[in-house]
Amino acid sequence: MEPPAEHVHWLFATGFLFLGLLLLARAIVGDEVWRLRAWRAYLWPSLLFALGVLMWPVMVFFTNSTIHMIAHGAWAQTMMLAGAAELGLVRGKLHHRAWRLALPLALAVSGASLLVHEQNGWLFARAAFLHHTLGWTALVGSIFPLVAILRPRSRVWSSGLALTLVVIAVFLYADRDVAPIFGHLSPLAGEPHR
Amino acid sequence: MRKLLLLVALATLVFPAAASAHATLLKTTPGFGQRLERSPAVVRLSFDQSVDALSDGIRVLDTKGRLLSKGTVSSADKRTVSAPVGHLPRGGYTIRWRVVSADGHVVSGVYTFGVRRRAPPAAEAFGAGGPTTSEHVVRWLYFLTLALLAGGLGFRLLVLRGPLGPAAQRRFYRLLAVGVIGALEVGILAFLLRAEDALQLPFVDFLYGDLTPLANGTRFGTAFVAMTLGYALVSALLFLAWLTDREWLLWPAFVLALGFASGLSLSGHSAADAGSSWLSQFADWLHLSAASLWVGGLVQLAFVVWPLEPELRRRAFLRFSRLATVLIVVLLSAGIYLSVLRLPRLADLWSESYGQVLLVKLGLVSLALLWGAAHHFLVRPALERGAPPFARLPRSLAGESAVGMAILLAAAVLVDSKPPPRPPQQQPPLARSDAATP
Repeated sequence: MEPPAEHVHWLFATGFLFLGLLLLARAIVGDEVWRLRAWRAYLWPSLLFALGVLMWPVMVFFTNSTIHMIAHGAWAQTMMLAGAAELGLVRGKLHHRAWRLALPLALAVSGASLLVHEQNGWLFARAAFLHHTLGWTALVGSIFPLVAILRPRSRVWSSGLALTLVVIAVFLYADRDVAPIFGHLSPLAGEPHR
Repeated sequence: MRKLLLLVALATLVFPAAASAHATLLKTTPGFGQRLERSPAVVRLSFDQSVDALSDGIRVLDTKGRLLSKGTVSSADKRTVSAPVGHLPRGGYTIRWRVVSADGHVVSGVYTFGVRRRAPPAAEAFGAGGPTTSEHVVRWLYFLTLALLAGGLGFRLLVLRGPLGPAAQRRFYRLLAVGVIGALEVGILAFLLRAEDALQLPFVDFLYGDLTPLANGTRFGTAFVAMTLGYALVSALLFLAWLTDREWLLWPAFVLALGFASGLSLSGHSAADAGSSWLSQFADWLHLSAASLWVGGLVQLAFVVWPLEPELRRRAFLRFSRLATVLIVVLLSAGIYLSVLRLPRLADLWSESYGQVLLVKLGLVSLALLWGAAHHFLVRPALERGAPPFARLPRSLAGESAVGMAILLAAAVLVDSKPPPRPPQQQPPLARSDAATP
């Protein structure tokens, strides 16, 4: 018995909301203050890694098309990779700066997967609109962690990343199975039930 | 072709609004893999949105490929398509369906049902192709990654406990990472290839093919689900062990890695073919586990300990040699039992293609055993006496592990091949008094 897709979206929305809020708090107080308690540095990468692990059940149980399965697998792996790379850097196990590229890469790959796997148009239904919006948000948002690698002290870029994740969470919360978007609902989409 | 596919992917990414409406199958009558007590009058498929029915959009086929359904029609709201079928006698049936979504893309799928008998697995639907060379290679890679993972963990936990130098520790974890990531990726690929065989669709249609009957209704689908989840968990455990230097986390990873390898045994010949039982499945798992520990251990010995831990060479070799003896006994015992089970006649060894592949595998096993025996009876006593290790031993270990990998390739082809049918059991002759009874 699979839960509706929107329930799964809400679960991950909660995860992304926490993630965004943690990163926002770090951006506001600054890295020095944030790291006064050593465990705080592990919080958001651990959460990201855990979200990646939790995406695997979604991948294997939602198999109504090959492309959905591949997209869910891509999100699982990129989230695990990004979380693992950040944890390795924090812990001092990884040293090369290239590992910092894992986070922007994860956002870019996730965004591209979202766009490719959603084959309906923007105004087909709310879920389709949100998939397009999420895809482009993640793709464009990947610029924030990318620039933050070059300007680690800039609060603009680290706040940008945090807000991108909060926006992603809000979009995921707004998802409904069959619901109109800006008054539009394709007659092909089925009966609205929300 | 690759460039074309890349362009299509980019175009879809840049102009997503141009595409619209891919239908998803919501409900079917009969259901996936359902056993019916009487012949259905009609096959009905319901979608989440309007679809256009093709005249042969639903095809009901028997095991010989005879078409038993008539023209496909749509309901008034175009969300349901149906096709009437004549009276179906007892047997297994395949439904192949294709509808056109609103965007013009064809959405397709396949599933099976049975009338007064169990439905055949979706992978054995009429028209499904057999394993291809790609599948042999993928299956081989699966075995190799399992060997790297389970064998590497077994070596570290059973043979070489205690601290390692930073370089050896790094390489040890790198090999494990290759193993676990490979097991996940190759597992997904293996599932998709098998699904492609069953669906028999062009690439673009396959991207939108419904995999649910295969993931939920077949042994290999269940194994795929369980093994993917299991190895995702193993990857998390390995990462935590590396990150926190808590090596006790390797134990649950080792147990899970070996345990979830049973997915292959529970979905292969040892589980599905005639004569299979819990014992054949257990023997298959033992066979696979012993081979993984042996080959993976050799790789660790040849590529981690020998080049990076000179101090530990002697201890590691002697302890692995003891473990290998046990592994070989398990490997051979389980292998002989399974061979007898699958090839009841000796002549099958040279007259059946399955037997011929088995012969190649046995030849490679003999070579590996000779190689291992040379290590056991020549190198081991010398090391026990305190003699310095032979200069060519690392190459020899690498050679033995290469033969082990070749055995896994033969095993991969064997797993994808169909064993010969078992001869029909002879009825005991009737007793003279029974024969005389009218």
